[in-house]
Order: sequence, then structure tokens, then C-alpha cells
Amino acid sequence: MTSFLVRRLSTAVLILLILSFVIFLLQSVSPGDPARAYVGANASNEMVAAERQRLGLNDPMLQQFTRFLGGLVTGNLGRSLRTRQPVTADIATYLPATAELVVMAFLIALALAALYALSGALRWPGASVGRGVLLLLATAPPFLLALVGIIVFFGQLGWLPARGVGDFQDPGPFGMQLVDTLVHGQADAFADAFKHLLLPAVVLSIAPAVAIGRVFRSSLHGVLGVDYVRTARSKGLTETQVVVHHVVRNAIGPALSMAGLQLGFMFAGVVVVEQIFSWPGIGNYLAASIPVADFPAIAGVTLVLGAIYVLSNVVVDLLQALADPRVTAE
Amino acid sequence: MSTTLVPRWRLKPVAIGGAHMARPTAWALVGLLVAVTLVALFARQLAPYNPIQPVGALNLPPLSAGHLLGTDGIGRDLLSRTLIGIQVSWLSALVVVASGLLIGGTIGLVAGATGGWVDSLLLMRITDLFLALPGALVAIAIVAALGPGLFNTLIGVALVWWPYYARIVRGETKALAARPHVEAAKLAKVGRVRILTRHLLPGVVPTAVITASLDIGNVVLLLAALSFLGLGQQSPAPELGADTARALSQLLSQWWVPGIPGLAVLLLTLIANLGGDAIRSLIPVRR
Amino acid sequence: MTEPVAEVRDFSLSLVRNGVRSPVLRHVDLDIRPGEILGLVGESGSGKSVLALSLLGLLPPESHPVTEGRVTVSGVDLLAAKIDELRRVRREVLGAIFQDPMTSLNPTMRIGRQIGEATHDDAESVRLLETVGVRDAELRLRVYPHELSGGLRQRVMAAIAVAGRGERSDGKEARPGLIVADEPTTALDVTVQAQLLDLLRELRDDFGCSVLLITHDLGVADQIADRLAVLHHGELVEIGKAADVVRNPQHEYTRSLLASRLTLTMPRDERFASTSQAGEGDPEPAVSIRELRRSFGVRWGRGSKQDIVAVDGVDLEIAAGEALAIVGESGSGKSTLLRIVAGLDRPTSGSVTLAGDGGPQMVFQDAGSSLTPWLSIGETLGERLRPLKLSRSDVRDRVTEALAAVDLPPEIAKARPGELSGGQRQRVGLARATMIPPSVLLCDEPTSALDASLAKNMLTLIRDLRARIGMTVLFVTHDLAVARLMGDRIAVMQNGRIVELGPSEQVVSAPREDYTRALLAAVPEIVEGAAS
Repeated sequence: MTSFLVRRLSTAVLILLILSFVIFLLQSVSPGDPARAYVGANASNEMVAAERQRLGLNDPMLQQFTRFLGGLVTGNLGRSLRTRQPVTADIATYLPATAELVVMAFLIALALAALYALSGALRWPGASVGRGVLLLLATAPPFLLALVGIIVFFGQLGWLPARGVGDFQDPGPFGMQLVDTLVHGQADAFADAFKHLLLPAVVLSIAPAVAIGRVFRSSLHGVLGVDYVRTARSKGLTETQVVVHHVVRNAIGPALSMAGLQLGFMFAGVVVVEQIFSWPGIGNYLAASIPVADFPAIAGVTLVLGAIYVLSNVVVDLLQALADPRVTAE
Repeated sequence: MSTTLVPRWRLKPVAIGGAHMARPTAWALVGLLVAVTLVALFARQLAPYNPIQPVGALNLPPLSAGHLLGTDGIGRDLLSRTLIGIQVSWLSALVVVASGLLIGGTIGLVAGATGGWVDSLLLMRITDLFLALPGALVAIAIVAALGPGLFNTLIGVALVWWPYYARIVRGETKALAARPHVEAAKLAKVGRVRILTRHLLPGVVPTAVITASLDIGNVVLLLAALSFLGLGQQSPAPELGADTARALSQLLSQWWVPGIPGLAVLLLTLIANLGGDAIRSLIPVRR
Repeated sequence: MTEPVAEVRDFSLSLVRNGVRSPVLRHVDLDIRPGEILGLVGESGSGKSVLALSLLGLLPPESHPVTEGRVTVSGVDLLAAKIDELRRVRREVLGAIFQDPMTSLNPTMRIGRQIGEATHDDAESVRLLETVGVRDAELRLRVYPHELSGGLRQRVMAAIAVAGRGERSDGKEARPGLIVADEPTTALDVTVQAQLLDLLRELRDDFGCSVLLITHDLGVADQIADRLAVLHHGELVEIGKAADVVRNPQHEYTRSLLASRLTLTMPRDERFASTSQAGEGDPEPAVSIRELRRSFGVRWGRGSKQDIVAVDGVDLEIAAGEALAIVGESGSGKSTLLRIVAGLDRPTSGSVTLAGDGGPQMVFQDAGSSLTPWLSIGETLGERLRPLKLSRSDVRDRVTEALAAVDLPPEIAKARPGELSGGQRQRVGLARATMIPPSVLLCDEPTSALDASLAKNMLTLIRDLRARIGMTVLFVTHDLAVARLMGDRIAVMQNGRIVELGPSEQVVSAPREDYTRALLAAVPEIVEGAAS
């Protein structure tokens, strides 16, 4: 198991290196001038040129890349052209809110996926209606779902708020409203934060839920027909015992893979959702950076989210290996 | 049904409700696919008005006289804008899927058929690394670097989309290449290229076509999201995602202005997914 | 007479396959008495597996089974019982051993736990494993199925099948009344098969359970069965005491089954009698194998690499026009050797030289997958003629000729492999291999997937072609009877080495090596004239 882990982690490091290189390449191609972030839009050309020299933007590529990597390791991602702040600081400010949203959405997606798959494989009566609704919802682009959600739950019913995270002045420590309100024991604020979180999280979770659910259901269905399940039934076990002990563990593999893949898509979806709900997270930050071609910010966000994605895939692989011992024997 | 673990890149397309669709239904859905493609191709001819010119009163609701889907905040006809938007989204999706299939499929075919170091060390390492990157994010980064615009967006998405096809085609090719009929062909002294084209490729095509057809919906959604963020065609050109984004402020008052482009995306994705499932149930895949 | 453990009364069954409903079993009447071993023999398509599933109450609902009659186990009609009752019968009375032990055990669950689902007691699991002959039983509890050999996995299945069913009224451990074994030995080597059959007999002797042994091989059934039943196209055509059925078959089908068996004593082909004398001063041998070695590096889970030697120094010569049969169990290296001679694999060291320029050709074990599925037979056969650059009509003629040589009509050329039967496909494979006389014809267990009668025809066909073209043949098989029939000489392979080599008749009647003797002893032969 340890050698498997070591191998996986070293591949992850390699991937991050490649990602950094890709971002670095894109940065040198991008039209905006990073030096302007430091001296401002009104600076004279001489000042900009001097700043470029100071930043080492005229050095050979390899040197720049090494410096870039060094910056990554020490946490220096450059300065945003828009906010004039260090990108790292910007990300630190906005990341917790996104984390809260993504984690919540992911948990909802897993729960929905499990329901989708189990209801199909075990043939719970009436569940096909629910599955059909979910399928239809997943076909819609997330921004449409968000729009409809706002119109229905805010405009018409007034149950849930349409924007933002609520009025709680969050002193920390996590930067995540939901958690911090609990830490400080503020029940009302917690409920308010939860209401604000619910709609964006659900909107974000629908497409991944269906994707994971379909894969899980398909593999459950496949495993149910397999020989060793027949053996299990021949021992006289109940259907629940058969499903829980024999079927799920063998069918979970593809679903785990899909879950990892969907997490990556979720990072892209979060950009759209945060913009619509004015959720103060990285996605919103990224969405604001795009129209002004703020490439240092775009690069920084992509790197951070990319790293999170790569590491979460390592975790997914680990879970897969725990579920099926044959994986490590490859 | 094999019970081996399916690594991330081996996820096969999954049909809605299983592959058991009645043949007439399946053909009807394929017909829908063709119909949408025709509409997309002839959108300009079908559109009643010029999509970028103001032609009517502001913010007319749908089913008004002369404007089936109403008008937007500047008085442009929504039906025309939506039709051109469909043209852009659908044809772009087809182009991206086709390029992914071509590039990824070729790489996968060669990798699976050649085996050895060319396969595992060279081609698949590259594919794996591409796949391990968060595709959508990298696409955003690429397009942001190249500058917004339809062409750049298509390039950005195509660059991150092909590895998926490479993996799937490579898997199928490898499985086929290990079967005795390829060995028998080698014994019959059939040349390498001919083995690829006659003894491998025809076996891979069904899965490739199914994968591609099920993928169109995903690409439509991704392109819509990218255009929502401001990448893609710039205004005043009509584009479904962008139109929704620009009209967000009218959400609670004139819901149709941001809503109808979004619904158009939903329709395209639905038709694409159902059509893909129909194709899957019509093409028999050997196990 | 005591109550039968299982009763099948006028049982008819139809299933839906590929959208078409067809009858699978017709009016079957059967009793299984306590403490007896009943052998059920049938070829593929006879319905024997479906009958087994019916006795376990495990008919697949996807096939929409429609039944008539009764299937009663321990007083409960399985066709009409409620699901709880069904489960109780499965838990308390029935045990099952299926054909493929790899897929019949959960690959992600440890053996101990899988046995434990039946025994609910680790100590009991260990005892059971020891009873079925698994050594180091305590350690084995912790392993996964893929870490065991096929024979061991089947023993684990046997342990699960025999696991206790609670306490009986006299305080003893209750054992299942009926063990349904569906082709339990087909996937095993012949020596392991003999051991498993002995095990089944011991289980009957020690625990008093009945066994329904389902197989396609009369010889296998005859080894341990008290009574024999013969199933043909869903009908029970004969049933009786084993010795009677074998010595005095009543039904024509039983007679034909017996006749198509390949035994070690049946007459050999007269046409090749002279070729077994390979004299000195011979012209160049058709096949020369010198010090052939082939090893694979295999990576284990803990990251260490291990060398597996498949072929360990083989020296062999085959004279022109001679037929050599290589016999070995799984893992002996015989298939690897064959593939190297074919040129499909490279040796790690050593050499293979083939005389003549016909090139090696191979007849594969599974003909279906050796034919490109989307090409017509004519196209596949025609491909072999491409180097000759013949005209279209010449190619057509040659294809028709090749098909005729294997007793196939010319219309076959237009068909796709999926439209042909297994026997037809195998013949097409043979036609493809012999269309242009090869320097050596390599046969990789070409008949092991075929029913007995088809196999016999196929082997005769190969011998006919050999006589006509004068081919050199290298034949690989695990079946000594087949080897004796097809080869002038037999080479016995074990662990990558040839341990015995000699004229066929001699190897079979007077073997020199212990291993050969063990192989011979394990062959299930029907002993004529002895009362069982």
C-alpha cells in the first residue's frame, strides 16, 4: 500500500509541475503586462520598463520559470492587475467561502447519487419519477438552474435569499460562515448562513449527482448479475446483506472515479454559480478577472484550484485501493 | 460484465435508463438530432430579423405580435438571436467533438495498436497528464491567455478535450488487439497498417461514435458556461450563455430575456443526450 | 425407502433469450435420494445448468422463466415458495459449487469472511478448510481469492457448500442435504479434477449429503456417481445405475455420447503408422527448437519483481510430415512454446528454425474470436491469398476449394463469423490455416471448447488434411487421449520442461516418468466390466 501511495504522490507532483509550466507558458503569451499591476495604469512607459527589469521579465525563459516555481513554493503568485493586491492574499480571502460551497455541494451530490443508484438497482417503487426529474434538471446549464431557482425560491416563494452569504460579520477563525457561526454558538446566524448556502449548493450539486449516480447505478446493475452474487444468494443471505456486503464494495470503483472527475468540473461550475449568487468566493474573483484580462489572478486561481483537484484525485485513488485490493497489485 | 476496477479514464458512456430503447423511439430521436443540425446550419435563413439590430419595442414579452419570443432590452428580436445562438453553440460543439475524436481517436488507435513503449511511456503518459489537469479550468486559462473570441474558445476547449477520447479509443483498441483475430492476421502476414485499418478500426468505431454522441451535450454545456463568463463570441454577436449573463439584472422583471437563451441551451443538451442514448441503443457493441 | 432429498416432477421450463422465448426443459422427472451421488450428463444446450439453478431456486428473473410442474427440495416446492422460505431452504438444506471459481467468489472480500457467512464461526471455517484439504487453513482465512490457485478456490467453494446448517435434534452439526455441483471440475487440471472428485465422494461418505454432479463428460460422472442421468435437448433420455447406463445404454443418444468419447485405448489412425519411425540420416527437420527459454518479469503488489519462467530450456525436433503432441497441465508452458514457434512471441534465449517457406499457421482454441467479426469468411480467407496477387475469380475459386476441404459449402464465404456455429467456425479456422500449405500446423487445444461429437469430427478432419497435404503438425493439449490420437510422438511438459518424449503408444502404455503416470491415472476412464 505504501509503495502505491508513494507512486501516486510522485505522479501528482509531476502533474503539478506540468500544470505550472502550462500556466507559465500561457502567462508569457497573454496580452496583459504584469508589470502594470505594480506601477499602476497611469505610469509612464519608462516606469513600466524599469518595473519589468526589476521583476526580471526580460530574463531568459528558463530562469523565469525557475523563479516562477520558487514563487509558487513560497506562496508568491504575483500581483493582481485589478485589485493591485498580491494574488495569494486575494485567494486567501476568498477561498474559504468557495470551500464551504463546494464541500456542501459535493456532499449533497454524493447523497443524491447514492439515492439515485440504490433506488434504481433495488427497484424502490415510485423512485423513477424522482430520477427522471433529476435527469432533466441535470441537462440544464447550471446558470439556468440558478436563475430558475432564484425566480422560484426567492421571487415567488420568498423562502431563500438570492445573494450573498448573509449579514453575519464573521470574525473567523475559518472564514466559513457555516462553521464559524457554530463555533461562536450563534444559532440564528447559523440558520441564516445555511439558508444562504442551500440554493447555490443544490444548484451546483445536480449535474455531478446525476453523473455519479448513473455510473454507480450502471455498475450496481452489472455487479448484481455476477457469479459471486449468485454464490452469496445460494448461501441464503437476505437481499440487503447481499447488496451491502458483496455488491456495493465491488461496484463503487467507477463511481469513485466519476466523483473525482466531477469534483474537477465542479470547480468550473462554481465560477458561474458564484457569479449569479454574488457568493464572495474564488469563482466570483475569477469571473471578475476575466473581462479585464487580469492574467496573474487567473493563473493564480487556476493553479490553486488545480492543485486541490490533483490532490483530491490522489485521495480518490486511495479510496479505490482500499475498496479493491487488486488495484495495488497492478 | 467485467468486475475489474475502472480507472478514471476508462469510464464508458452510460445510457439513460439502460440501453433498452424501442427502435422507433430511437430513430425518432436521431431524427431530432438531424433536425437540430439542419436548423443550426440554416439559422440565418430561418431567422426573421437581423439579430444584432434593434427591430422592435423594448422588452416585449414572448408571443407578442411579430416577435415569437419577445425582444430584449435594446429591442432586438429574441427568436433571431436564439436561432443564431443555437447555430453557434451546436456547430461549435460538433466541431469540438469532431476534433477531439479525430485527434484523440488517432492517438488512441495508434497507441493501442502499437503497444510497448510508444504506448505506455510516450502517448499515454502525455494523455494521462492532460487528463489529470482540471480540464475546464485549463480551458478558461487558455482562452483567457489567448484573448476572448469564438475561435480561441474552440481551440482552448479542443486542446483539453481530446485526451478523453484518446483514453477510450486506446482502451478499446488494446482490448481488440489482444484478441486472437489480430494474431491470426499477423500469421497471415497482413501488414501493420492494414491490421490497423481492417482488423482494429472497424471494431473501435461503434464505441467511438457512441462516446462522441453522448459527449455533445457536455460540450454544449461547457461552451455555454464559458460564454457566460465572457469568453467566446463578444457582443453584440448573439451567444446563448453570454446573452444570459448580460441580462441577469432583468431576471426578476423580464425573466425571458435571460431565461430564453438558457432554455435554448437546455433544449440543445436534452436533444444531444437523448440522441446519444438513441445512437447507443441502435449500435450493437461487441463484448 | 426414505424420502428423496429432492424431487423433480414433470418439470418444464421456457426462457427468453435474445428476445426469443424457447423451451429449455421438457417434462423432466428426477429423484435424488439421500446419500447418493447422481451424475447428470449433457452437452451444451441440454439445459443441465438451468436444471441446477432451478434446484437452487436461482433462476434469473431477467430471462422471464415460465415453469410447469414441481421442483421440491426437502418438502418445499421451490417454484411456488415465498422468498423467505426459499432463503431458509438455501441456508439449511442446499449447497452449491459452480463452474468458475474465480468469478464465483467475491474478489474484494477475504476468504475467511466469505466462508464465515455460511459458518458464522472462524474455528468452524478452519475445520472445514482442513476437511476439504486446504493446508495452512488459518493463514488462508486472511487471503483474497485472486491469491489462490483455481483448485484451491474450488475447495473453498466446497467448504462453503458443506458448511454447517445449525444443530440437529441429536446434537450433531446438521449438514446440507443436497450439494449441487455444476461442472465443478471443467476449469481445473486433470490431476486437480481427480482430487476434487475424491473430495466430493468423501463429503458424501462423512457427512451423508447427496450430490448432484453436473458435467458434460460421462467419464467424469462415472468416476463417483451411483446413478447416472442423461439430458438431451431438455429431455431426460436415460437414468439408472451408473454401471448399467455405461455398460448397457438404452437410449440412442447415450450410445452416441459413449461412442464419441476419446479414450486411451481406442484404435489409432492407420495412415500414420509408418511415420512414427523417424529414422536416421533424415532430411532437414521441419521444426528445430534449441535451448528455448522464455521468462516474464511480473510485478507483485509490494513492488518487487519476480521472474516467471514459462519455458525452461526446451530442445525438440519435428521431422517433416510428423505430428508431435505436447501434453501438459495449465502453467506447463505448452501454450507459450507454441506461440513462440508461431512467431507471436519472442524467446528470451534459444532459437526456433522452421524449414520451408510456407510459414507457421495456427488453429486457435476459440475459433470465434480468431475470426475478425466484421469481415465475411470469404474476405478473411481471401486475405491469406493477397501475397499471391491473384485475380478476383481465382481468389473466389481458391476460397471455395478451401471451404470444401473442410466440408463446408461455398455459401459460407458470404457469412460473418457470428452467423456460424462453433463447429463451423473451428473448421473455417482450419481452412484458413491450411489454404496454403504451412511449414508447420500449430494447434492450440482446438477442440477443448467443443462438445464430444464435434470434437471427434474436428480431429478427424485435421488428420485427413494432414494425410492429404503431408503437413507437419504440432498439437498442444491437456488431454492425453487426444494427444495419443493426434500425435505420432508425445512430449509431456511440466514447469516449462519436457519431462518425457517418445512414441505415443509407448508413452501411454509404459510411461517412464512419475508425472506421466500421475497424469494417466487422473484421466477419467470408463472401466468396462467392473461393478461400481
